[in-house]
Amino acid sequence: MDLTTYASLVLVVMVAAYAVAKFFKLSTEISMFIGALAGCVAGGFGISARHIAEGAMTYLDINLIFITATLFMNILKESGGVAFVVRGLFKRFHHRRAILLVLLTVILLVPGALTGAGSVTVLICGGMVATVLVSMGVPKVKTAAIVFIIAGLSAAAPPVSLWAMMTAAGVNMPYVGFFWPLMIPCLVAGIATMFILGWKGKPAETEEVLASLPAAPEGMNWFKIILPFVVFLGFIFLGRTWPHSTVVTGLPFMFLCSALVSYILSPLKLNFLRISRDTVNQLLPLLGTLTCVGILVQIMTLTGVRGLLAVTTVTLPVTIVFASLFIVLPLSEAVLMWGAAPVIGVPLVLLFNTLGLNPIVALAGMSIIWPLGDALPPTAIIGRLTVDVTGYKDSYAQFLKACIIPAIIMIMIGMLMVIYSKQLGFLTGL
Amino acid sequence: MTPMIRKLVFGFAGLALLVFSGISFYQSRRLKEPVVVSDGVTQVVRLSKYFSGVEGTANDCNMYILEGKEPGATFCILGGTHPEEPAGRLAAWIFAENAVLQKGRLIVVLSANRSATTVTRVGGAYPPEFSIPTSWGEQGFRMGDRWSNPLDQWPDPEVYIHYPSGQYLAYVDVRNLNRCWPGRPNGTLTERTTYAFMEMIRKEKVDIVIDLHEAELQYPVISTIVSHEKAQDLAAIVSMTLTDMEGFKMGMEFSPKNLHGLSHREIGDFSDAAGLLFEAPEPFLDATRGKTNTEQLLTGKDDFVVRAGQHGLLFEKIDANGWPIDKRVGRHTSAVLQTMVSWTEMHPDKPMVCDSIPRYADVVARGLGQYLRNPALAKPGRIWYE
Repeated sequence: MDLTTYASLVLVVMVAAYAVAKFFKLSTEISMFIGALAGCVAGGFGISARHIAEGAMTYLDINLIFITATLFMNILKESGGVAFVVRGLFKRFHHRRAILLVLLTVILLVPGALTGAGSVTVLICGGMVATVLVSMGVPKVKTAAIVFIIAGLSAAAPPVSLWAMMTAAGVNMPYVGFFWPLMIPCLVAGIATMFILGWKGKPAETEEVLASLPAAPEGMNWFKIILPFVVFLGFIFLGRTWPHSTVVTGLPFMFLCSALVSYILSPLKLNFLRISRDTVNQLLPLLGTLTCVGILVQIMTLTGVRGLLAVTTVTLPVTIVFASLFIVLPLSEAVLMWGAAPVIGVPLVLLFNTLGLNPIVALAGMSIIWPLGDALPPTAIIGRLTVDVTGYKDSYAQFLKACIIPAIIMIMIGMLMVIYSKQLGFLTGL
Repeated sequence: MTPMIRKLVFGFAGLALLVFSGISFYQSRRLKEPVVVSDGVTQVVRLSKYFSGVEGTANDCNMYILEGKEPGATFCILGGTHPEEPAGRLAAWIFAENAVLQKGRLIVVLSANRSATTVTRVGGAYPPEFSIPTSWGEQGFRMGDRWSNPLDQWPDPEVYIHYPSGQYLAYVDVRNLNRCWPGRPNGTLTERTTYAFMEMIRKEKVDIVIDLHEAELQYPVISTIVSHEKAQDLAAIVSMTLTDMEGFKMGMEFSPKNLHGLSHREIGDFSDAAGLLFEAPEPFLDATRGKTNTEQLLTGKDDFVVRAGQHGLLFEKIDANGWPIDKRVGRHTSAVLQTMVSWTEMHPDKPMVCDSIPRYADVVARGLGQYLRNPALAKPGRIWYE
């Protein structure tokens, strides 16, 4: 049997096993694991314990960042810090709608940018921002769309963009030079989304809104909120300014220190162990997904399925590749979640590199489009999470419809970044 | 299925996974690779002889020193900078097991980043080991990775800042031996390793360091010599001679002055030696590769990589015959030997003459296994382990 036939058959088996698992309502991560096992067996490797274990470790570091950063955000939330910020901003800027919209955008961008997960944005501050937006007269369906779109952008925003990190790792490309190519489009698209969907609306009375927001605890202040971030940035500053005199601690340790500072400064007595347990429970589906994506990619690489997808992608006519990006990226995200990055992103970046495009800017552009898939079936994890958290109760289709205009903006920005990546190469600063 | 039974089933499945994968990882990390040293080897020392900062670590590797009957130049061959590029290690192995020096001194390293030989790439699906057939059986080798084992050096920083240039590099390259030159005494394990090598190069007054590598065919720096400006004439002559006389194409490139951490740049800048880096083609490293197994690794045959080549996406030719390991190793042995010959022509007062090493045509004709020696027949005291 030639290689193409062999790899195609293995791919068919993997897809079929995944589809059957989904049919039986198993979770995406378990379905991916079953798809990987089926591929391993169909490929003639049996159930290879070594490859399963090794694949599961692929994203260990990213998982640790995920856990510690989310723990930090959860402690901040439980200590009343997030409520304090949202209430404070609303009180100060509720008469200045434009400024408030910009600040709410920034609030939504921060958790996901630090953790790489849009779901963390939704869980940490999605509900509170939604309360403010609704009180500003923004319809619930548009509010849900705003939270979802900006949560997606926050996941793509630097410093932690999992799509960019995973794809870069797959092509041996340093995760360096991504800050501005990710930051600028995320900010632009985020603010545009907020203004397009949130500009119109008759605001409710200030007191009414403040009454509907969680109360900020006595003793909370800006210093207690900012200091943990200063600690985190301090580690980064030390490591970059005196790299050869500073102990290498790694991002998980930095986030853990910030979490501890936030815990110590909390005006409320917090149960650290309970919050840690809740954090892991909250993240379990996402940690499971990343672990199973690693196993899936390992088996795809082992059996040549990754090579088949890669060579098929890089040998397609370039115009078809460009023209189909806006469909392929969100769809791959909807099916594989972050697995889309190593499976689809890697061959695309190789192709763009061969075409003489700037791989960093092109990958950043792709990273802006990928999050849109998080609202699409079969997974739709973040879309559904957003709908729950924001209290939107009508049809999911209407929610998707409300996302269309910002989605088109994100697609346009992303596509233009890919096509004109060479000209935008200055953004990398390299 | 009740929740308790489900937990038990998953618990046992997890335990089985842990045990079976653990055995595999344990065995490959501790696989003993025998080296039956050539009669020309006069000393075997540890890297820690030159810098105690690597003593007792995974990277305190063996160094095989061969001395000629007459004095001359000192060369150093580094194999295993990136163990996932096996032709580099195997070519160095042939020198350690076969070379006899007439003039000069040769220092051979088989596992420059020994830590990286003990791990395979997560997500890469590498085989844990591979074997080379010989007339006396098969000799097994650890597959290895590009980076030091995280068990020996972890965590990575959020960004790797190279010493002393201050250049920003990918965080994972803090474990890449060929991004950590010239190293520093109080740095990470990988940085201490390159520092120890620099100390060795300075103390042993090495003239030429040859770092043996392989590259994916999608990488533009392939089938070439990368040379520090100090050795550019030598590299140019070697490149031309190999291309004319040996039947394979060998290019030559200058080491970029602003790209730091690489052996061909920093060894030349921080010692009296000149650094050369040789690249052979290895389709196993290509992202478009098909099945990831030892057959692909050793034959270099891959329909998908061929297809990428047909679309003009590669920087080296490939056809259905692939890139067998014999060809890749033979390119390296010939390139090293030609470097010695050309060096001696350019420096007759400081010659380097080495015998008993097969050139490209010999390795291709007889097979690499022909030059690996049987550990069962080794004389006492002539066998070492990597």
